[in-house]
Amino acid sequence: MPAVKETIDQVKEIDLEKYKYGFETDIKSDKAPKGLSEDIVRFISAKKDEPEWMLEWRLDAYKRWLTMDEPDWAKLDYPKIDFNDIYFYSAPKSTPGPKSLDEVDPDLLETYKKLGIPLSEQAVLAGVEGAKIAVDAVFDSVSVVTTFREELAKSGIIFCSISEAIKEHPDLIKKYLGSVVPVTDNYYSTLNCAVFTDGSFVYIPKGVRCPMELSTYFRINEKNTGQFERTLIIAEEDTYVSYLEGCTAPMRDENQLHAAVVELVALENAEIKYSTVQNWYPGNKEGVGGIYNFVTKRGDCRGDNSKISWTQVETGSAITWKYPSCILRGDGSRGEFYSIAISNGYQQIDSGTKMIHLGKNTSSKVIAKGIAAGFSDNTYRGLISAHKKAKNARNFTQCDSLLIGDKCGAHTIPYIEAKNSSVIFEHEATTSKISDEQMFYCQQRGLNEEEAVALIVNGFVRDVLQHLPMEFMVETQKLINISLEGSVG
Amino acid sequence: MVIKLNKNEEILYQALLDADAISIAKNFRSVGLPTRRNESYHYSDLKMLLDNIGQIATTATSTGEFAFNIANSFQLQIVNGEVQILGDKPPSGVVISTSNGGMSEPNKDIIAQLNSALTKETLHIDVSENLETIIQVDRCFEGKAALHNDGVEIYIANNSSATIVEVFDGSSEEHLSNSASKLILGKNAKATHIMVDISSKKTRHLQTVQYEIEQGANLHSLIIHAGSSLARTQLFANFNGENAHADFAGLMLVDADRHSDITIDVAHKVPNTTSTENFKSVVRNQAKAIFQGKILVAKDAQKTDAAMMHQGLMLSDDAQILVKPELEIYADDVICGHGATCGELDENNLFYLMSRGIEREQAKAMLVRAFLAEIFDPITNEDLYDILAGIADDWLKE
Repeated sequence: MPAVKETIDQVKEIDLEKYKYGFETDIKSDKAPKGLSEDIVRFISAKKDEPEWMLEWRLDAYKRWLTMDEPDWAKLDYPKIDFNDIYFYSAPKSTPGPKSLDEVDPDLLETYKKLGIPLSEQAVLAGVEGAKIAVDAVFDSVSVVTTFREELAKSGIIFCSISEAIKEHPDLIKKYLGSVVPVTDNYYSTLNCAVFTDGSFVYIPKGVRCPMELSTYFRINEKNTGQFERTLIIAEEDTYVSYLEGCTAPMRDENQLHAAVVELVALENAEIKYSTVQNWYPGNKEGVGGIYNFVTKRGDCRGDNSKISWTQVETGSAITWKYPSCILRGDGSRGEFYSIAISNGYQQIDSGTKMIHLGKNTSSKVIAKGIAAGFSDNTYRGLISAHKKAKNARNFTQCDSLLIGDKCGAHTIPYIEAKNSSVIFEHEATTSKISDEQMFYCQQRGLNEEEAVALIVNGFVRDVLQHLPMEFMVETQKLINISLEGSVG
Repeated sequence: MVIKLNKNEEILYQALLDADAISIAKNFRSVGLPTRRNESYHYSDLKMLLDNIGQIATTATSTGEFAFNIANSFQLQIVNGEVQILGDKPPSGVVISTSNGGMSEPNKDIIAQLNSALTKETLHIDVSENLETIIQVDRCFEGKAALHNDGVEIYIANNSSATIVEVFDGSSEEHLSNSASKLILGKNAKATHIMVDISSKKTRHLQTVQYEIEQGANLHSLIIHAGSSLARTQLFANFNGENAHADFAGLMLVDADRHSDITIDVAHKVPNTTSTENFKSVVRNQAKAIFQGKILVAKDAQKTDAAMMHQGLMLSDDAQILVKPELEIYADDVICGHGATCGELDENNLFYLMSRGIEREQAKAMLVRAFLAEIFDPITNEDLYDILAGIADDWLKE
């Protein structure tokens, strides 16, 4: 099979560079003083030139956050985060806000080029002829450029940084921000409400099918900074949008915090497809450094027959705490969750989804594949719940774990709550290792050990891979190999 | 750290002090009754659910009547926490004894700790033969509403086997019973251990079951909840020796506004052990059935094979089934699976039976019985099979 040959070449290539996004861009930046206080919240709001109501919103969140406790129920073990040792705001001096492409600092453009992100509107991704992709590039705390804005605006689509949206579309922000993930939702989301610095905003007007993939690329560059991004996507009636998100960070010995909130709103007959390839720096072989990734992602299927689909590939971060969820409020709405979570080294992942069935005839599907190697711990935690009025709710969940090596752990913690009799819930999960028979079969046909593992793993995650947009497929297959590199045997 | 205790917790705390269980009292003072913040009580918040905790039960004499009579059985009774040894001599190979105080080495769980501190007398059953006779232990909660604590420790010696049936029953009062059972299976020992709660519908029944399974042993455990307004059985099993196998099964029959919870924690600590966990619940009216299962496969427990399943059947619209089947795995060469399903009776199946002239209600009963068959089928003793299946039939007819 030619694919296997390619995979092996990728493994070799990656072997030399390991985490190849680990470089640092030497760029002057403008930072807020270290630590967190009411003044910092005011500082961020002022930097963003925000209206008064936004500042009030942030301050309320900050006050609330002070009364909250850090959650400890996840199967994660990490030292307590010192919130006073973090820069909550950092922006490249040269480009303190989104501008047109020719105004962006060439160093930044070089950075994104190195990361393989096409910021030039003419550029196309390798191997994908003719496919256009609009990118919002977020560097530390600010969005530096958003491409294809004019073309999108022709169809009435708004795609910009959230800071701009707050200023230019306050009505939409006031109506939707915090309506899916309330300000008081959880410790990290409340923190995000107080200090979020940038992120993307997407608005698809009624009846429009977004003509291209939208994408945000998050990069943490500066030392000791936390990244707090906020994404809000609103899909009006009868719309479709596919949104991609990617993330990387330099290799550092310290742990950096990333606490994001993503809110999706799908109105009647709207469909949102949200894909993430999360590849933050996972720390080194000894488990030093890496990103702490505490993310709240939630989609609200507000309208009848709406659909939200989450696809995620989680390979990076030292700690991942992330549960992209769907609230299936509209009758006949549908939620999907496809996930591949790969942990190696000393990574710890506690991730999964929540499907909350509130409307009639709602359905959801969960496919989660966890692969644990090295000394890592990989937990799937999910909630499937059907409330009293959710007649004929239907769920199918499949979560499989694969263990490579005997020093890692794979855990599955599903919560299943059926509160009316017409629901049909099916849950299945398995944990296994690559069997000797499978290896023998492959090796006996001339594949070596590494090739055989790559083939079997790619087969194992196939169900999820096929839901990723084409543009991400190539990168994902590479990522799978990076993460598992060195784990054979 | 101390927390504010509510009225019911104060009663328990005072009882612990009276029993001179200082360290447990201190612990209880800092945690109180488990709340939903405690993961294993996620759906059974005892702080909320337990009310009207009475004083510790006073002595009551044996009623001499047993909940049921199985042919060829040896019967024992524990009434209000006191062991009553009736006339019969135990069968050969069985030694019956009692000890003061509660269970030795209780589980760290606070309910198990409360039980061990407050139990006055523990019944010991030691089996050292392949026993044909079934041992039946009835725990009766007699007289006025009270707090009951009791414990049974069973030891099946190497190469021996036995069938033990424990029944929970008593007067129709708002009792709170906190019971404990420990079963130790020696090398190559075999046991069938059945626990049936048919207490009055006012009783609150808590039970902690602890299994220690040694090399080559084989266990079949079955929990049936068919009584009590609140029933919660927590089961802890440890595989300590290789090549052992255990089947854990359970059935919750819940109606009215009753609350039934089976929480199991099975630890495969050594290589080459296998287990199945097969639980079912049938709920109607506003009842709630909860199953929480956890299978732990320790670091070196290679070649573990475990399969957990919970199937829920909802017979009315206001009923609830809440399930959490959990896997925690640290060894790579294992096969572990879990499944959970929830749903109502299939209309097509009902239609099939009705089109053949069977009344709807009867057709429903037939389908429920078919659903339950898997639970009863492994019971080879016919007498016992009839009694247990009869409990389900009676429940269905109510």
